[in-house]
Amino acid sequence: MTRLGTVFVVDDDPGVRKALSRLLRSAGYDVAAYPSPSSFLDAHDPAMPGCLVLDLAMPGINGLELQQKLAKDGHRRPIVFITGEGDIPQSVQAMKAGAVDFLTKPFDDTRLLDAVDIAIKRGCAAQLANEELKMLEQRLTSLTARERQVLEHVVGGRLNKHIATELGTVEKTVKVHRARVMHKMGADSLADLVRMADKAGIRPVSSGVG
Amino acid sequence: MYNGGQESAIPLPQDAAAERVHPQHHAHDRLSHPGIAAAVAALAYFIGAKIGFALTFQPHPISALWPPNAVLLAVLLLTPGRSWWLIFAAVLPVHLAAEVQGGVPLPMVLAWFVSNCSEALIGATLIRRLAGGQPRFDSFQYVSIFMLCGALMAPLLSSFIDVALVKFIGWGTNNFWELVTLRLHSNALAALIIVPAAVSWAASDWKGFRSVALGRRIEAGALFVGLFTLGLFIFIQKASSATIPALLYAPLPILLWATVRFGPRGISTCLLLVTGLAIWGALHGQGPFTFASAEESTRSLQLFLIVVAVPLLLFAAVMEERKKAREALQVSEERSLKVFRASPDPIVIVRKSDLSIIDVNEKWEALFGHRRADAIGRTTVELGLYANPEDRNTYLELSARGLVRDFAVDMRDRNGQVHHMVLSGDSVEVAGTDCLITIARDVTAQKLSEREAQQQRLELVHLSRVAMLGELSGALAHELNQPLTAILSNAQAAQRLLARDRIEIQDLREILQDIVSEDRRAGEVIRRLRALFKKSATQFQLLNVNDLVAEVLTLAHGNLTTREIYVVTELCPHPIASRGDRVQLQQVLLNLVVNACEAMDTPGSTRVLTIKTAPTDDGLVQILVIDGGPGIPAESMQKLFDPFFTTKPQGLGLGLSISRSIIEAHDGKLLVRNNGGYGATFRILLPASVEAEQ
Repeated sequence: MTRLGTVFVVDDDPGVRKALSRLLRSAGYDVAAYPSPSSFLDAHDPAMPGCLVLDLAMPGINGLELQQKLAKDGHRRPIVFITGEGDIPQSVQAMKAGAVDFLTKPFDDTRLLDAVDIAIKRGCAAQLANEELKMLEQRLTSLTARERQVLEHVVGGRLNKHIATELGTVEKTVKVHRARVMHKMGADSLADLVRMADKAGIRPVSSGVG
Repeated sequence: MYNGGQESAIPLPQDAAAERVHPQHHAHDRLSHPGIAAAVAALAYFIGAKIGFALTFQPHPISALWPPNAVLLAVLLLTPGRSWWLIFAAVLPVHLAAEVQGGVPLPMVLAWFVSNCSEALIGATLIRRLAGGQPRFDSFQYVSIFMLCGALMAPLLSSFIDVALVKFIGWGTNNFWELVTLRLHSNALAALIIVPAAVSWAASDWKGFRSVALGRRIEAGALFVGLFTLGLFIFIQKASSATIPALLYAPLPILLWATVRFGPRGISTCLLLVTGLAIWGALHGQGPFTFASAEESTRSLQLFLIVVAVPLLLFAAVMEERKKAREALQVSEERSLKVFRASPDPIVIVRKSDLSIIDVNEKWEALFGHRRADAIGRTTVELGLYANPEDRNTYLELSARGLVRDFAVDMRDRNGQVHHMVLSGDSVEVAGTDCLITIARDVTAQKLSEREAQQQRLELVHLSRVAMLGELSGALAHELNQPLTAILSNAQAAQRLLARDRIEIQDLREILQDIVSEDRRAGEVIRRLRALFKKSATQFQLLNVNDLVAEVLTLAHGNLTTREIYVVTELCPHPIASRGDRVQLQQVLLNLVVNACEAMDTPGSTRVLTIKTAPTDDGLVQILVIDGGPGIPAESMQKLFDPFFTTKPQGLGLGLSISRSIIEAHDGKLLVRNNGGYGATFRILLPASVEAEQ
């Protein structure tokens, strides 16, 4: 059973690193383990889906600093923090910065695996959303300027007649443009198109008149 | 301390004894003024010459007793050599005045002056050379030398000169050897009788006579009167057939009495008296020395007096020496006894032959609870003094080899209470038996307080260690968490694998192996911690300083990790041995590491801890703990090792003070200095061990 995404384990203690890797593998994850944040960064491929299991206290760059660095670089990788001592200020900081969970050593396997499960899912979801957005953006660029105008009016919920009046054309022409937009965007229905436009961040033109 | 024991057995040096008992050496002072000495010499010489002439048996050419030469010798013995010339100069006119009256030609008179002076000069020079400058008729050696040189050699040699001159000038008709013999007898007798008396009286402490007890004065008077009466009876009586020669010895008891009771001065005075009476009697044809010829009478009289004088003078000297030695011994024994009784330390004297106690002092009685009367005659073992009787044998063996100092031993008093003692012992002779004198000192209280101080120190060391471990508890928990995490995760991974249908045995084997090693690692942390928490007596052992550093870094690992500090170690490539208490040295090193970590919490610090170990050139082992913090402010530097000095809000301020005391108890040093750029360096110096690494 292989699940989606890789779990990146970063811990300076070789015994802990090995044991965690083994546990995660036994739960069916792909695991890549690193002894320090810097070695992780050296080998990091942001495109690879997965989550981080990160030790908080390490010499050099610590876990929190790694979290900040990833955020700055725009890699939104879900992180499960593990630590030897439950330091409340640090855990608060970590959670605020978007950590999935903050586990105090030693922890039960279920707690870790649950957290990793969430993290992986979150990671995968993010990955999917990312991909869809890219696709939408591609489709949007294929639209002509007029088609784009029509799209904005359509998702605004306006009737073809009103759009034609607004754009200074006839209803029939608008109908053609509309059909072409639906086709180019791969939308099955008006609702589908509205969802896509919303995702792509297109501002709908609502009825200014009436 | 009692230290008179050794001296007490030995009489005081002779000079010191003489000085204290008899102020005879003042003789020099008395005649030290050359003018007085010369005047006395001149007067005595003149009187002596007159007496000499008076004591001449006519027609015998030589006086029975010729005092001037003896007088001269006595004066020379009493005056320093540098003023002798003055004495001779003063005597010359007197000599001329006395002799010329006799109608003798001047060259002969001058010749006699030369021979008389030569006799005194030879005698005085030889005596001074052989017996020293101090005329002492209370010394057997001096008297012997005086008799040999002053009463034999000097008259003999001067007689040769004298008779040679007589023959040269052509005076008199007697033959050479006869004259030599006659003059020798006369002058020898004069020296024997006159010099001791003259010197003894001249050297007397006149002021001291006033304090002489009445009984002694009466005794002296009785002796004198008795001797005089007896002398008159024996020597001044009409010669008759009834006179038995044995009566000559009648004065002997009185002379012995004088010798024993009044010493050299008494006997020499009595001899003078007897001589005077005997010669007077003989001159007047009375007493036992009335033979046919004057020569015979003179010779037998002289020989009689010489034979009596020689042993009595020697006897007097011996008696005097004995008396002084006895007095000196008595003085020193009295002093020893006082020291013995008054000593603040217990003292016991034991006879060596049977080890029985012959005396103890009051302190000894007080300490051990045995009364003196009960202790005397018994042995220390019979009294059960030694807590461990083996100790007595050791002590006796040591004391047989000589002086024993500070022999530590446990002793038991009468109530069975044990005292820690130190013994010092030496051999002494008491009343002719070989004894061992032992001075004991009770050091129980001292030992107890030392032990208490030691206990308190250990307590403090332990307390500060526990306090430090308390500070480190978070980091130490981290240190235990790691293996626990690894074990739990490994075990649960194994459970998951077992839940599957297909299990790789190899996987399980690896997991179990890892669980075992992680558990051992946790056990090791616990073991180290327990050693640090334990309160144990100081145990010195051989250890490798590099191991010490490694152990401490393991303990501090959590602390270093949570503080995100890099550790750099530059350890000596080969093991460096020292001796010490492992736990206490770990404590010191851990304390320095924790302090260094805290110092590096200051913003702007370089978060690197460097530890170096190396042998030094002067045979020590050094451990350097170098931090990258802000360094130590100058105002703190002086107080850094003071107790209760701290810069931490939660700190006790004991860590460094105790660390230093631990290192000093190891005969080492704990030093600190700021680095040139940043941070501080603590330096532990320990003596290197020459023993091979185990």
